[in-house]
Amino acid sequence: MVAARALHEGIRPSNVFSREDIHGDTVIDCDVVIVGSGAGGAPMAAELAEAGFDVVVLEEGSYYQTRDFTANTTAMIRQLYRDGGATMALGNPPILFQEGRAVGGSTVINGGMSWRTPEEILERWVKDAKLDVSPAQMLPYYERVEKRMHVAQNDHDAIGKDNWLLKQGADAKGWEIIPNLRNQAHCVGSNRCAFGCPTGAKQSALVSYIPRALHFGARVYSNVRVDKITMHGKRATGVVGHVAEDFGGRGYNIAVRAKLVVAACGAIHTPALLARTGLSSRSGALGGNLSMHPNVKVVALFDEDVTSWKGVHQAFQVREFVKEGIGTFAAVNIPPSLVAMSLPHRGAQLGGLMDRYNQMVVAGMLIEDHSTGRVRTINGRPQAFYQIDDRDIATMKKGLERLSDLLFTAGAKQIILPLHHATSVYSADEARRVLAQPIPAAAWEVVTVHMMGTAKMGRDRTSSVTDNFGFMHDVDRLLISDASLFPTPIRTNPMETIMALATRAAGHVIDNARRFLS
Amino acid sequence: MSELAPYDHTAVGRKVLISLVPVICPPQYVHLANEIVDHLALTLGASPPLLRKGFDAGLLTYDIGALLSHRRRAHKLSGERAERYYASWEHGPTPLHTQFARALNQLMSMSCYEQPEVMDAVGYHVGPWIEEVKQKRLTVFKDDSAKQAAQILAPDPLRPSFRIDRIKRPNVRKAGA
Ligand SMILES: Cc1cc2nc3c(=O)[nH]c(=O)nc-3n(C[C@H](O)[C@H](O)[C@H](O)COP(=O)(O)OP(=O)(O)OC[C@H]3O[C@@H](n4cnc5c(N)ncnc54)[C@H](O)[C@@H]3O)c2cc1C
Ligand code: SF4
Repeated sequence: MVAARALHEGIRPSNVFSREDIHGDTVIDCDVVIVGSGAGGAPMAAELAEAGFDVVVLEEGSYYQTRDFTANTTAMIRQLYRDGGATMALGNPPILFQEGRAVGGSTVINGGMSWRTPEEILERWVKDAKLDVSPAQMLPYYERVEKRMHVAQNDHDAIGKDNWLLKQGADAKGWEIIPNLRNQAHCVGSNRCAFGCPTGAKQSALVSYIPRALHFGARVYSNVRVDKITMHGKRATGVVGHVAEDFGGRGYNIAVRAKLVVAACGAIHTPALLARTGLSSRSGALGGNLSMHPNVKVVALFDEDVTSWKGVHQAFQVREFVKEGIGTFAAVNIPPSLVAMSLPHRGAQLGGLMDRYNQMVVAGMLIEDHSTGRVRTINGRPQAFYQIDDRDIATMKKGLERLSDLLFTAGAKQIILPLHHATSVYSADEARRVLAQPIPAAAWEVVTVHMMGTAKMGRDRTSSVTDNFGFMHDVDRLLISDASLFPTPIRTNPMETIMALATRAAGHVIDNARRFLS
Repeated sequence: MSELAPYDHTAVGRKVLISLVPVICPPQYVHLANEIVDHLALTLGASPPLLRKGFDAGLLTYDIGALLSHRRRAHKLSGERAERYYASWEHGPTPLHTQFARALNQLMSMSCYEQPEVMDAVGYHVGPWIEEVKQKRLTVFKDDSAKQAAQILAPDPLRPSFRIDRIKRPNVRKAGA
């Protein structure tokens, strides 16, 4: 029962290792080595460990517990986010994107929205990529993931006023708004999901799949960065990496010999790991096909106090315009420092606006993008390139127009649009007029947390990187299990899809254990 | 093993940043200049090395650039002149100037609103709020939370009939660190 302790506070479970435990160059043997412990890596580790495989998980980030998640926002960002949250996809405009780097991966800092893949998207994957992922085929995997992570609606009394205002606006417009499903067990509305849940309510991989994997004997090495996959001919035989020291230092070397290698580093770092290994795909698609669900936010000011930081993170989603490529609208409280950072104002003007922090509702929307980008590996480090196209900009404008309309209907008096030069609008008509003008691409403030598609699945090896389960074409024993597998963007939050695909692939490994363990 | 030090501003960089606090931060928080600039070093310390180098180079260019228009280095400018010099970067002349001014604004505003005094002033009392709701979960929802914790560890094999011990394979050496 080692890992039971991981659920409670205090002691680091004995099969979680960190840089302090590694006192020299180290060689480890196991059945399966999994690189990355997020949405794709953690369920794979738990399922295979429970089946009896000897599993080793290597994770670059540190191991934290619920008590480590404090009210110090920027300290949390520095600890839990890769590059302190300052990662950019280059293009016009550049897009700021964020990834977690910790045991539990991005699930530690995500909002907990847990949605199945839209059926239409799965049907597209079946038809175009010839994958066995029809809604009926995926159903048992969703159900399993939802049980493990306790996917449920939020407790009504924990929902904050910003979310009720969003609902009020949507209801008044007659637009479809639905309660969010989230992986939480009695979320009490601290609204700190993006900085590590300090109450233990969010059932991230850190408090669900990782303890389960540990319980069934998996070993987790935190602070280990994998440099390369080791190959024998076309067969993956393990990985080599090093202890990741503070401030980017390089510690002792680590080698893991395994019968199966799973790359679960996320859609930005998995293609880089493969590129550092010298692998390429005959499709030319490795690192390409990068989708980002571009996301824009507005700051709406009300006359009354809203105190948005008290209440569940994103209790509702407006789904009215999904068919038009506008994924969702949601109220997303962010702390004052991050609001101030997003505003182009300064000096007394900034002070005047921020004095009204408690009257603000921050609301965001994501779009289903048609643009695609590419991750290139430069000196061993991934760099994302992504040029948003006119069609997606037009969708963003349309979405913002409607989001502004909703918020004015709910009682907002002023809305600050996500444009560099701080365009404030005071009515829905004015928002419409401003957004009807040509806006230079460089003026947009676009962010994202959904990176997908850089090792897409498909039966045809000339157009995809990985097969029906995520095994890399033309390479033996190399399974990919993360957001890079998506053939297309999915227009909703991706975590549950990644976890369901990981569970499905784990089933395939178990079904073929004899082959993989030989 | 590698002994890298945490990031700190260069001497010039620090002076430039201190001189920018009255330009970027609201006037009532200018007395927090040292704390704001210290905090900014922490943020930069967590960012990619290339970005840090670019930021230091940008600050130096910003400092020296003022010689042309104001015959003084930027860190020696104050009041209206400091304001005008920053605005000249904010609005051009090249996208690089604009982007650097924007980055300065973003980083410094963030550091300003992370100061406890400033969070308090805008009414963000998140620490006590977290404690309050944490207690609620630990007490009101104690039983349900325990049930979920037990569910996480309960046996529930993905392939119930699968037995790994039926597979013959070479011994695996369990070598922990
Ligand atoms: C702030 C934020 C909010 C979000 N909100 C939601 C939400 O509400 N709902 C939702 O569905 N999705 C959300 N997402 C997205 C979702 O969390 C991610 O899509 C998902 O976690 C990606 O899973 P993954 O396995 O691909 O990568 P990750 O979960 O990011 O895990 C990858 C892990 O691999 C590690 N790694 C990378 N390279 C190496 C290496 N070389 N060696 C060792 N380890 C390595 C990383 O440190 C990381 O921990 C959010 C994301 C963020 C950042
Ligand atoms: S809002 Fe809920 S799930 Fe998110 S951090 Fe707070 S208690 Fe945890």
